[in-house]
Amino acid sequence: MALFPLTSNFEGDFVLQLVAVDSENTMDEVAAAAAVHSVGRRVRARPGHIMRVRRQGGAEFLPRTLKVSESGLKPTETIEIIWEAPKA
Amino acid sequence: MAVLNRMDWYDLARTTNWTPTYVTEDELFPPLLSGAFGLPQNAWEKYDEPYKQTYPEYVKVQRDKDAGAYSVKAALERSRIFENSDPGWKSVMKAHYGAIARGEYAAASAEARMMRFSKAPGMRNMATLGCLDEIRHGQMQLYFPHEHVSKDRQMDWAFKAYDTNEWAMIAARHFFDDIMMTRDAISVSIMLTFSFETGFTNMQFLGLAADAAEAGDHTFANLISSIQTDESRHAQIGGPALKVLIENGQKAEAQKRVDIAVWGAWKLFSVLTGPIMDYYTPLEHRKQSFKEFMEEWIVAQFERALTDMGLELPWYWDIFLNDISQTHHGMHLGSYFWRPTLWWNPAAGVTPAERDWLEQKYPGWNDTWGQCWDVFIDNVVDGNMAMTYPETLPYVCNMCQLPILGVPGKGWNVKDYPLEYNGRLYHFGSEVDRWVFEQEPERYAGHLSIVDRFLAGMIQPMNLEGALKYMNLAPGEMGDDAHNYAWAEVYKAMRAAKAAG
Repeated sequence: MALFPLTSNFEGDFVLQLVAVDSENTMDEVAAAAAVHSVGRRVRARPGHIMRVRRQGGAEFLPRTLKVSESGLKPTETIEIIWEAPKA
Repeated sequence: MAVLNRMDWYDLARTTNWTPTYVTEDELFPPLLSGAFGLPQNAWEKYDEPYKQTYPEYVKVQRDKDAGAYSVKAALERSRIFENSDPGWKSVMKAHYGAIARGEYAAASAEARMMRFSKAPGMRNMATLGCLDEIRHGQMQLYFPHEHVSKDRQMDWAFKAYDTNEWAMIAARHFFDDIMMTRDAISVSIMLTFSFETGFTNMQFLGLAADAAEAGDHTFANLISSIQTDESRHAQIGGPALKVLIENGQKAEAQKRVDIAVWGAWKLFSVLTGPIMDYYTPLEHRKQSFKEFMEEWIVAQFERALTDMGLELPWYWDIFLNDISQTHHGMHLGSYFWRPTLWWNPAAGVTPAERDWLEQKYPGWNDTWGQCWDVFIDNVVDGNMAMTYPETLPYVCNMCQLPILGVPGKGWNVKDYPLEYNGRLYHFGSEVDRWVFEQEPERYAGHLSIVDRFLAGMIQPMNLEGALKYMNLAPGEMGDDAHNYAWAEVYKAMRAAKAAG
């Protein structure tokens, strides 16, 4: 359990923002923490979508249950939060 | 008694390079301060200043300029222009004075370095006059806003801003410390006078003067036009120095300094001048868009200045040309959204009519920047004001110290440019900012951005209140919407009309 700063690059938003999470948070929790600062402020919510986390420039999303402490992310590293459309 | 013509004695009188005998040349002109680039004194004697002015001429001309600007101020003092002008225009003045006045005064010290330490006699003469110019600019731009301090506490930031840790001032100081306070005389001539003043001050002092005249603020228009006449003279200090460097095989070093300074100047203007021109200035008073001014003053004129000098366009010119349509929209949205951290009240500038203008000047604005503003406007219309303010810090660039941003909405393109150096992860807003850092990492590596300071626990308590205290923003000083959100009434009416069917 430790405070862990990350840099949020939220799909549709215009600016990188500092997001404080916990090292034991999962990627879903990280995405939710990032969303607080973008969704409803400058980005519209997308009902039904899931917010996924990936490393900047990464091709794959990080697993939703992966913890920050297991992810290899460095403090202040930039993550992209991407809307994933519901599967049809 | 007959007086010799200036040109019969000027060159001789300013040829003041002596042959030192009691000290070495390096003691007389320490290389760290003189920036001789390994060139001996006699190489610098070929420096030929294009603007030859003597001290008596200077005093006479400056006296007339001062008389003009101060008499316009005196004549219009009772006109209540400040009281009656659009709040957006007041914000232009507040932003300008706070960002510029004390920086001008600091520039006197940079000019003084050229005056004392340059090995080029002609540069020493021009910089003597340039130093006096900058003192004049500092004095005027503190004196003119002073009459408004009793009416509006934010006007006090004309003097106060430079001493604070307000984020935009950290950015301004980082840039000016880099290009003028901590460089040798020759580098100052290239980075401050050639790159920053020739390239960019026309934008602030002529472009803005045109808007001021349109807005009926003739005091401000006269003041900044008067200043620009000095700038256009002492901005020419750097050109002949570049010529000497290029002739002596130092083109690469000269080019690097130009490239670094032009980029930093661009970033600073994107946050200061861009929002002023495209959002704060009332629509009916806008002469040209920021992009159009940039294309006229920087792309057309400065490009020519560079190539005439024998230099190349900076390697990032394509990136720059793309950015002049985008970056300042982000700087405006960012500074507006984090408005309590400003010492002025930003005008939103996003009524339907203003958005039409933005869409016309910047095709695609509504699908990109407008998407973020749509959410913001809905919150204002709904009275959901808590969501119109931030609850965290934007991540800022470790070079320009400004938010790292890009295009939002349907054209989403935002990117971090990270770099790990000596075990520390740095973040940059562009490839160019990172390149500047890489040119001389040790020069910049120790600096802490506002976010670094926050993470280091230097800002307490660790929330907006603590951040505002750290930035010296007292109640009554921190920014809010210039028009108290009156601009949103039209959106409320549109929604009511829609609901009524």
